Amino acid sequence: MPDGRRGRGGRRGGGEARDARGSCVAAAAGAEEVAACAGGRGHSVLVSSHVKVKAGGPRRDPHLHPGLEVRLLRRQTKTTLEVSLLEKYPCSQFIIAVGNNAVAFLSAFVMNSGVWEEVGCAKLWNEWCRTTDTLHMSPSEAHCVFYHLKSTPSVILCQCSCYVAEDQQYQWLDKVFGSCPRKNMQVTVLTCRHVTDYKTSESTGSLPSPFLKALKTQNFRDPVCCSLLEQPNIVHDLPAAVLSHCQVWRLPAVLYLCYTDVMKLDLLTAAAFQPVLASRSLKGLAKNIPQSTEILKRLMTLNEVQSNIYT
Amino acid sequence: MASRYDRAITVFSPDGHLFQVEYAQEAVKKGSTAVGIRGTNIVVLGVEKKSVAKLQDERTVRKICALDDHVCMAFAGLTADARVVINRARVECQSHKLTVEDSVTVEYITRFIATLKQKYTQSNGRRPFGISALIVGFDDDGIPRLYQTDPSGTYHAWKANAIGRSAKTVREFLEKNYTEDAISDDSDAIKLAIRALLEVVQSGGKNIELAIIRRNQPLKMFNAKEIELQVTEIEKEKEEAEKKKPKKAV
Repeated sequence: MPDGRRGRGGRRGGGEARDARGSCVAAAAGAEEVAACAGGRGHSVLVSSHVKVKAGGPRRDPHLHPGLEVRLLRRQTKTTLEVSLLEKYPCSQFIIAVGNNAVAFLSAFVMNSGVWEEVGCAKLWNEWCRTTDTLHMSPSEAHCVFYHLKSTPSVILCQCSCYVAEDQQYQWLDKVFGSCPRKNMQVTVLTCRHVTDYKTSESTGSLPSPFLKALKTQNFRDPVCCSLLEQPNIVHDLPAAVLSHCQVWRLPAVLYLCYTDVMKLDLLTAAAFQPVLASRSLKGLAKNIPQSTEILKRLMTLNEVQSNIYT
Repeated sequence: MASRYDRAITVFSPDGHLFQVEYAQEAVKKGSTAVGIRGTNIVVLGVEKKSVAKLQDERTVRKICALDDHVCMAFAGLTADARVVINRARVECQSHKLTVEDSVTVEYITRFIATLKQKYTQSNGRRPFGISALIVGFDDDGIPRLYQTDPSGTYHAWKANAIGRSAKTVREFLEKNYTEDAISDDSDAIKLAIRALLEVVQSGGKNIELAIIRRNQPLKMFNAKEIELQVTEIEKEKEEAEKKKPKKAV
């Protein structure tokens, strides 16, 4: 059991279920803000599941949308994985990129060096997904894809470009991490957040965005590549869930959060993750930096939407 | 804090900023580069062509527009705002001609556009125009003119200037290379404009559009072939200049 204190600020009564393994899972019912664990001894892991209630739109009915659950599919056969991904493919380094800028960074800098093989994908649907048909979702629409390096299968990468809703996070963690996570696995999470969410006494105009901040679990001993995230800032969504899980299960994990003023796919924001390449988990994975910068530029232009607003 | 003083155009901040006007100037920087050069007997406008979508008709994406037979302008910034300003300016040119039986002077029409822009920085409920314009032409006295306006409604005469995305780089190039010699000849002035644009335009001549007005002549738009010709000449001159440089002893 973690030795941290647990704070809970729920505005409406939400259920808090403890599953058999003793880890805390807050069920998000309606709009509820849940402030979660503070780990002991200065390693504050402040996470929050902030529910955004979208007006109108399709409701998640488990009968109509079997995508309520998170389905983890094996590659090639595309059948559902019976065990969790990390039980099937044990690894020593697990790197997760959440959000389009982090995904672009890993695609350009890490995935172009070496041969990466897809080992599985997570298919899920929620109100924020663009497609409505989950049964016939093509592999390119499966937003959470897992890869391992062919030469070193002990490194697994996850490219998550979709939004994993609060009530799907537990399932996602369960299907990916499983019930008995390996102790010698190190987790690195990369994600972005808008700079207006960064709470500081300085004026936001003077902040050098994009900039990196790190948040680590108690068991993470390696040096971090940037300054730590100061209080009262909190982490949200899937990265928060992953970090909480790692803190509870005493896994060494670090989150690198890039605060940026451009939330869409942007060259400067994706390139702001470069200091992370010096960390132990990513060292040696990125081989060709100049070529990677070119690939990043190309990714940006590919995704640029034709706009006639400015001439 | 900027956020409290930028919601309404009519509000000054405590330190005297009109944030909406400054933000409008940022919108100008999102448009592609335009450069204007005032020669002795010619005025040149060069713009970086915006990349058009495959199915888009290229002719409808124009940054250089004639306001009258002897005046034309290039803009950078919000396309729709530019269209509105250009329409008003064109109507004003003709109205002036009908009223006083004289064509507008370049300064008059620039002042008209600048006054229009200034009005929109002082009315509530309206935002400033997000464009900067380079207005060139010849007056009846035969003197070439180049003016620049910006979203705040100011206008100034320039010998050479640039607006839009990489305006700073182009302006620095012009400051270094604009000499009386460089613009004495018409073709030299044209080459200077192209060289200035080549500093910031990717993939060379095919992304450049050029227009010139010579004394007592109407606006002439260069076609792609003519621009390519100029670019080739410039590159040849560059090579020759490189060769002439004394080689360092190894």
